[in-house]
Amino acid sequence: MAASASTTAPTALQVISRIAASFLGGWLFVWGLTVFGISFGVWAGADYHQMESLMYLLAFVVFLVVFLWAYAAASLKRVWYVLAGGGALMTAAAWLLIPSLTA
Amino acid sequence: MFSSFRLSMTWMHTWVGLVLGYVLMVCFFFGALSVFDREIDRWAIPETRFEPQTLPSYDTMLRPIFEQMQPSRESLEEASARIGGRTPEFTPAAGFGAYTTHRDPVLELYSEYHVTNNPADPHDHVYGYATIDPRTGRQLPDDQLKIGSEFFYPLHFSLHFEWLDIGYWLVGIAALVMLAALVSGVVIHRKIFREFFTFRPNKQTQRSALDLHNLTGVVGLPFHFFFALTGLIVFAGIYFPVGHTMLEPVHELHEQREAAAKGLAFDPAGVPAPIASVDAMVEEAKRRWAARDMSGEVGYLGVTHVGDANSYVSVYRAGTDRVTLTGQGIHFNATTGAVILEEPSPSAVEGITDFMTGLHLQHFRHWMLRWLYVMGGLAGCACIATGFIFFVEKRKRQHAKAGVSGARWADAMAVTAVTGMVIAAVAILVGNRLLPAGLADRGVWEERIFWFAWLAALLHAAWRSAPVQQARIAPAWREQCWAIAVLAVAAVLLNWITTGDHLITTIGEGYWPVAGVDLSLLVSAAIAAFAARKLRLRELTATQPAGRTVDTAAEAAHA
Repeated sequence: MAASASTTAPTALQVISRIAASFLGGWLFVWGLTVFGISFGVWAGADYHQMESLMYLLAFVVFLVVFLWAYAAASLKRVWYVLAGGGALMTAAAWLLIPSLTA
Repeated sequence: MFSSFRLSMTWMHTWVGLVLGYVLMVCFFFGALSVFDREIDRWAIPETRFEPQTLPSYDTMLRPIFEQMQPSRESLEEASARIGGRTPEFTPAAGFGAYTTHRDPVLELYSEYHVTNNPADPHDHVYGYATIDPRTGRQLPDDQLKIGSEFFYPLHFSLHFEWLDIGYWLVGIAALVMLAALVSGVVIHRKIFREFFTFRPNKQTQRSALDLHNLTGVVGLPFHFFFALTGLIVFAGIYFPVGHTMLEPVHELHEQREAAAKGLAFDPAGVPAPIASVDAMVEEAKRRWAARDMSGEVGYLGVTHVGDANSYVSVYRAGTDRVTLTGQGIHFNATTGAVILEEPSPSAVEGITDFMTGLHLQHFRHWMLRWLYVMGGLAGCACIATGFIFFVEKRKRQHAKAGVSGARWADAMAVTAVTGMVIAAVAILVGNRLLPAGLADRGVWEERIFWFAWLAALLHAAWRSAPVQQARIAPAWREQCWAIAVLAVAAVLLNWITTGDHLITTIGEGYWPVAGVDLSLLVSAAIAAFAARKLRLRELTATQPAGRTVDTAAEAAHA
């Protein structure tokens, strides 16, 4: 075990926020990535099921990375910005693309 | 919050691992048992103890059975709930399916019916199920619980907690945590190569538990990582249901286009039409597989849009000779018997997905690999169980001094998740042999025995973990080990008494499904009895002050 003393002890709220960021924030991010990846792929001419399979193969590896990062990152605020914000942005981008895919 | 990467990983590994570890035990243990789910079915339903069969004739045997099938009571009740309590009205069967594997003596049949009075969902369906003896066509009673394939197997991915798919979500979260625990475990330890060879059973429990935790974690690392990951991929559609939410219009359009491109009708024509000989189609499918150097038996046979001009028959190969799940499906026009489509080889991406899910679901025929899967699953259980023990051992002295009971409750939960779970699994087998044959809802009673046995183990563990608060060993571990030993031997004896199949006969005849379950039960009983005796010795030495502890509760605990 590392002997270096921990920085100030985290409050309960910080702990809950970090756990929520890892699970919920991580899920939002991967959701955004998955819908955006599929929409973008279909828009670029790929087959729907091919893109879905590809994104599902990647989804949980990405989830694992962002999940670990949510605990390792120094700034909790940044974790939330990237995961929830990034997830929302990618979802919105997919949402804008979708109407053109069924036209 | 954390001053270093390793500290953050340690914190996450400890706490997230502890909380989700209980779920992971269920996934790994019942996943390991699912490797032999068909064999456990044979043990539990003695009238199905005969050799695996190939698909019988559709034209002469299956068709009349299919035509008599009805939606199941549960399926109708669920449909009724969807349409506000009214009685669902349904069409004659719109789809039939028959599924078998190289390990199944019995054949499972499905039927599908359109619900006509659900305006909210014009595609609403109800389903019927039957299991038959393919040698005679006799239908088996549907209240017999297939303990392996219908109880243990779904338990490892749904926890039998179907409401809102909560069980699937808990298992998914646990699988993600397993991946994270493996990565963080490596980060915490660094000396990964040395962990391969380090096990010091004669050190303190805390030390030997950690050794075994690291050893099983490192040796099983590729296995554990792969199974957690592929398990998530199998149910990706539940965790990220994109095709039924945001991307539904894109998905629907794609399905229709794909069906059109394949020549497989997406919707019925509404015009009645007769069906040609399905047996001839099966023969043709086998001939085409053989021509591609993949001769084999049928794994799945399905009829879509039954009795309609758009009806087609799909024949899939049983995947006994390769890892990947692809079934080399061939589709026939049901009225003319002409081939509509021979499915092409999968693309690279689909090939990878089929391979990964195939490696998890193991439909192939390879008995040694099957046993390696069991060993991998049990190594996962040992890893998680020693994690619990390390957690408790590390804290129980401090907690005893401080007068807090955290370590005690963690230990009680660990007992419940480890020995309690095994008690429940063996109790359902004992119950299966003890319940009277004609009992109504016999399968439901078997499930109740399972859950009540587990609940009893929880209460016992809560009661008999009190000594942990004085930094001693919980007698609950030892007592539950004895319970496992007694129940497991009782299960083997009851099998003998109620069916006449004892080990000398089953081994003599080479009937390994039942012999294997019996032998596994006896081995479990021996390990449990050994563990219980060792634990007793430990309890005695541990009560002496500053006792130099000399044993392996860690090893005992995961038995």
